[in-house]
Amino acid sequence: MANKVVQETFSGHAQPKMSTLVRLCAAAWLVPGLGHLLLGRKWRGLILFATIVVMFLMGIAMQGEFFSTSSGSYLQTLGYFGELGVGVAMPVASFFGYAGGAPLFICADYGTAYLVAAGMLNVLAILDVYDIAMGRKP
Amino acid sequence: MVVSHFTALVLFSFLVSVVFGVLSKNTPRERALYGAKVFGVFVGIALLLGWIMYPAP
Repeated sequence: MANKVVQETFSGHAQPKMSTLVRLCAAAWLVPGLGHLLLGRKWRGLILFATIVVMFLMGIAMQGEFFSTSSGSYLQTLGYFGELGVGVAMPVASFFGYAGGAPLFICADYGTAYLVAAGMLNVLAILDVYDIAMGRKP
Repeated sequence: MVVSHFTALVLFSFLVSVVFGVLSKNTPRERALYGAKVFGVFVGIALLLGWIMYPAP
């Protein structure tokens, strides 16, 4: 599949198909680094995966808070979308029993910052995948 | 996991610097240099702000 995507995106100066772009960005969102891996940037993808996942896991270990949109607070809603950027990691953590943090834990605020930052870094990685697929970056 | 404020700061800076370096530059050398620079700026500014705010009640 990797070769197919690379051929589609780097065949001459042709623009990649919209479906290819959407697929790459969705893959990059769901699993950090997967978009780069599909584009043939193996090491870049692995480094991004390791870094973002470690950051997310440290946020979990520090009892960071999972925000929701139901609180009515704009800041919490922004935090929710920030954390959403990390893809399937949030549902997976919930599936394995993470209850969404303990706000009174001593490191909970640090953990929340780690969780939001992991999501935002993955958003940057998605934009990088888009740029590479469009031929704007090597 | 319980970490000190400084440890959390250093770990956070390191991880963010790695991602910034990987995404911003194209060669391994440029990435390493840029990542190290970003890491230094992160930690340096945090320490500087800490000292500036130290007298504050």
